[in-house]
Amino acid sequence: MRNTFTTMGTVASLEVPREHMALVADVRELFERSESRFSLYRDDSELSLIASGRATLAESSAELRDAYASALEWRSLTGGSFTPHRPDGVIDLNGLVKARAIAESGALLQAGGCLDFTINVGGDILTGGMAPRAVPWRTGITDPAHAGDRNAAPLCSFPMSVHRAIATSGSAERGDHIWLTRSESAPEFVQVSVLADDIETADVLATAIIAAGYDFLSRATANWDIDVLTVDRAGELLVTPGLGGMLRTAA
Amino acid sequence: MRARAVIGSVVASAAVLVAGWQAGATVDAATVASGHAPGSRVGAEPRGTATASPASPTGVASPGAGVALPSPGSSAPGGGGTTGRPAGGAAGAPAPVAPPAPAGAVDGVYTGDLVDTVYGTVQVRVAISGGRITDVVPLKLTDKGSESARYSREAAPILRSEVLSNQSASFTSMSGATYTSGGYLSSVQSALDQAGF
Amino acid sequence: MTLTDRVPGLALEKRRARFARRSLASDVLITCLWASGAVAVALYLSSGSVGRTSSAAEIITTVGAICGLVGCNYILVMLVLAARIPLLDRTIGHEQAIAVHRTMGKPALYLLLAHAALLLTGYGMSAGVNPIAEIIPMLSIPDMPLAFIALGLMITVVVTSLVAVRRRFSYEAWHLIHLLSYVAVAFAIPHQLSVGGVLADSTWQRYYWIALYVIAFGTIAVFRFVVPVVSSVRHGITVAAISPVAPGVTSMFLRGRGLSALNAVGGQFFVWRFLTRKTWWHSHPITLSALPTDTVARITVRGLGDGSSRVLNVPVGTRVMIEGPYGLFTSATRIAPKVAFVAAGIGVTPIRAMLEQGEFGPGEATVLLRASQPDEAYLWDEIEQLATRRGAACYSLVGPRASGANSWMSVGDAQRGVTIESILPDLANTDLYLCGPGGWLDSISAAARAAGVPRHQIHSERFDW
Repeated sequence: MRNTFTTMGTVASLEVPREHMALVADVRELFERSESRFSLYRDDSELSLIASGRATLAESSAELRDAYASALEWRSLTGGSFTPHRPDGVIDLNGLVKARAIAESGALLQAGGCLDFTINVGGDILTGGMAPRAVPWRTGITDPAHAGDRNAAPLCSFPMSVHRAIATSGSAERGDHIWLTRSESAPEFVQVSVLADDIETADVLATAIIAAGYDFLSRATANWDIDVLTVDRAGELLVTPGLGGMLRTAA
Repeated sequence: MRARAVIGSVVASAAVLVAGWQAGATVDAATVASGHAPGSRVGAEPRGTATASPASPTGVASPGAGVALPSPGSSAPGGGGTTGRPAGGAAGAPAPVAPPAPAGAVDGVYTGDLVDTVYGTVQVRVAISGGRITDVVPLKLTDKGSESARYSREAAPILRSEVLSNQSASFTSMSGATYTSGGYLSSVQSALDQAGF
Repeated sequence: MTLTDRVPGLALEKRRARFARRSLASDVLITCLWASGAVAVALYLSSGSVGRTSSAAEIITTVGAICGLVGCNYILVMLVLAARIPLLDRTIGHEQAIAVHRTMGKPALYLLLAHAALLLTGYGMSAGVNPIAEIIPMLSIPDMPLAFIALGLMITVVVTSLVAVRRRFSYEAWHLIHLLSYVAVAFAIPHQLSVGGVLADSTWQRYYWIALYVIAFGTIAVFRFVVPVVSSVRHGITVAAISPVAPGVTSMFLRGRGLSALNAVGGQFFVWRFLTRKTWWHSHPITLSALPTDTVARITVRGLGDGSSRVLNVPVGTRVMIEGPYGLFTSATRIAPKVAFVAAGIGVTPIRAMLEQGEFGPGEATVLLRASQPDEAYLWDEIEQLATRRGAACYSLVGPRASGANSWMSVGDAQRGVTIESILPDLANTDLYLCGPGGWLDSISAAARAAGVPRHQIHSERFDW
């Protein structure tokens, strides 16, 4: 059964078996809590209070400090391509927070006995188990050339059988959470999709690759067990061999 | 040495040499038979970067195409500086040599030069379509199993047509750049959600 | 010795068949030796694209790579030759194997030097630098520093083996340096398996190359270490008694268990290692001077030079390690109906053992004993007894050396007009077994060849001390 709700400035779509529909309420609550803590769009969120100087990092909750520490770790792992620090000095954790909320939701569903699910929050997707009729969950990647067209065909589609999470970052709809690390040049990629075994890795690396371009793409594929599909300004595609193989063979 | 020993040695050695030569020719023929232009062995200096060959990615394809051609390890063509194992970091295996697509290049698949490096012989097959390099496949990466394993995760070009042709099955969700709540309404995901079960 | 051996015709046929088998085996080994070099070249050829080389740099690197493969192949062959493999000993004899090993040393090194020089040149040419300048970047490639060290060690080993240089070292010091060749070979392995594409992962070329190494080091490990240790423990040999034979010549009796299992044949030698604090690292090749019983063996040694004196000063009861038996100076190489045993000085020991073995019928054998002075007639009494018992004729040539072509006999004999044909009437049908100092050996061999004795009927053992 499908359930959609608004959160974190976007829309979340949940697909769970009918018998576990009750868990959806818990997932919604999880996202609400996260948003109230981390959203920079709410003046009274914890992060906003710190940003405006009305609270300090030292006094903040364990969850916030955890998220911040995680963001810093990712910053060093990606060599700075991913960073929670905006040029204006504000700590912006939105990029990471959405992914962490998705991951926690997945854990929550599994703990509740729901093993087969899909969570899509604004384009970041985490799957679990199998789709109805015992087939792998199948996902599509949007074609940036046809963004905003509800009836557009996807760029491609594939089963989520190797990696269970996918995150796509786009420079066209670049939100406040992606800051180009090489400010002179225009982004090499307009869209980057990363498949990984956890949504946090997928999200962070997608963000980092969009920000840092081709050089980081090489590093990312070499150092993490991921698959990537990128679209550049001319619409040309790059894909890692694992995903490429899956796309080339018959569906 | 007895005559028999001399004759035996000469005959056996000749036979072995001929067999070896034939085996080598078969290896080459296999490359030719798959329809590609045979390459010639180029004795590149043993640094893993094919500096003598046209590896400069900027010389590739039509101007402004922006095709990001992978060229691990050789960000500075002609570099005498990349010494040691070029596997450090993103470099991975020896630089594949991508001959530039000359202006008005005929579409097709071409086999690049065999570049002889200390890490093995490297030969690359390039597909050109519409004047652009659309596929780069390493044909011969004969050494260092672990290096090839790492090399195999590099992203490589793929044609949209290859990808779009496999859309027979339906899918349940769509991954794209984050849409706002307003943007959601015009996203494919919303269509999926409406059609969803 | 079986009944057939006593029947002249049958024995001859058997000998001829044996000789034919051994010479075929020997030719096969020689063919394999040369063919192994061809295989090394074929490893390169079969990896493809050689026919398309065009530029000078390419040709140079190709030749350089091939030199390395062939050179290393022959170094490994040299190791196998020095491993004292029983098969090699039975086919070409240990002495012959070592002789081949020695002649291969310099050419193999030249090939390795060419390998280094040509590759530096070729790679340098394609990078636009001179070969010397190419060394630095080459050193930064993984495994290459070790390869350079390996080459340096190999040069050291070969240089110290040159006769002129070897004389300056004691045998043990020279041998120790020589063992560095194992280290050199081992140090070269990483770069062979990682640099260049010929021996790449999962290719048959790589498996073949590794197999070569396994064979070379394996045979050395087994036949130079495992077998002697096992054999020595099994037979538990100790020094039983030391008794003088003549001034400067001493017999040593050794006690052991199950010595007949060694299957030592008259004329063969063992390599002895006397386990005392001062002598354990010296090894001595000494021929048995009598056939061993199941529990007793005898060697007779002339006390000349450090080595033999040390042996003779070893206390009774000393444990002894042995390697062997080795040697083709035995009746196994007989081919002719008649046999003549000729010994000079201490060369008498294998002759004495062969006489005891007695693989000949009455009237078929002649013994010739040569000594410059009467007191150099070591073991002649035993030999005369054995000769009488076996029905062999026994002559002696005592006296100062004659000159010129007759230097193998005494002045007196030369004056009396003795020739090799006069002593051995049916020379063409006689196997000659000659044992003595090198100069004497050359002289009598020359005389025998001049008298028309075929080369394969002349068997010699050089006792240069």
